[in-house]
Amino acid sequence: MDATLRAIAEPRRREILRIVRDDELSAGEIATHFSISRPAVSQHVRVLLDAGLLRERREGTRRLYSLRPEGLEELVAFLDDFWTVGLERLRRAVEAGLTNPEVEDGRA
Amino acid sequence: MEELETVVDQTVRIAAPPEVVFEYFVDPRKLVSWIGSRATLEAVPGGRVWIDMNGTDVAAGQFLEIEPPTRVVFTWGWERGGPPMAPGSSTVEVTLTPDGTDTVVRLVHRDIPEPFVESHGAGWSERSAMLVELSIRGLLISGPTDADS
Repeated sequence: MDATLRAIAEPRRREILRIVRDDELSAGEIATHFSISRPAVSQHVRVLLDAGLLRERREGTRRLYSLRPEGLEELVAFLDDFWTVGLERLRRAVEAGLTNPEVEDGRA
Repeated sequence: MEELETVVDQTVRIAAPPEVVFEYFVDPRKLVSWIGSRATLEAVPGGRVWIDMNGTDVAAGQFLEIEPPTRVVFTWGWERGGPPMAPGSSTVEVTLTPDGTDTVVRLVHRDIPEPFVESHGAGWSERSAMLVELSIRGLLISGPTDADS
């Protein structure tokens, strides 16, 4: 899951996910959407592959990339975790504030 | 904004009355004790919600409903940084229910806009698209990352 989050933290990688959402494309075709170098694009594709967000298919000598939705579904678990953590932080803040007004005022 | 769906529905029990917990959603000093680092909250319907998460990413929306101490609804999105989700483009609904001396807090984040507006194909479920955006947001709230290039 950490790899997934790191992968989508980078704006160009999010853009790649958008680009291959509906089309299966080669790295070269993906690169036409960017001003950065082809190797830099390939590096981003590699990160997305490693994170399970892209699938790779060989067609002759070409490698084609498309979105791997299952990789995104794994984020459901993350989301649940995230909000659980957020609300747990809220619980701690409130309960600490009850016994320590400095904390409640956000000055501690 | 064609897809309106609840993707987050969480509850937590807090050992405090709703009157106390409620303040943590409408008082900026208390809000930042659990989310963000700086906040402006105009706790009236139509009032501004503005939360600087980490100096880089800023969430923004407005209050829709304020019913102390049991319910607060506000819109949510990103004014700066964050995922491509416009300020106020989704809705967070918080319900506080007293239970003995505790409060049960339920947080529902819904009406997430279909974020990848450039594409209208059917290849990728909208739910998945939303999840990506929400996860990005979660990442940002959790703290800075190594957003390498």
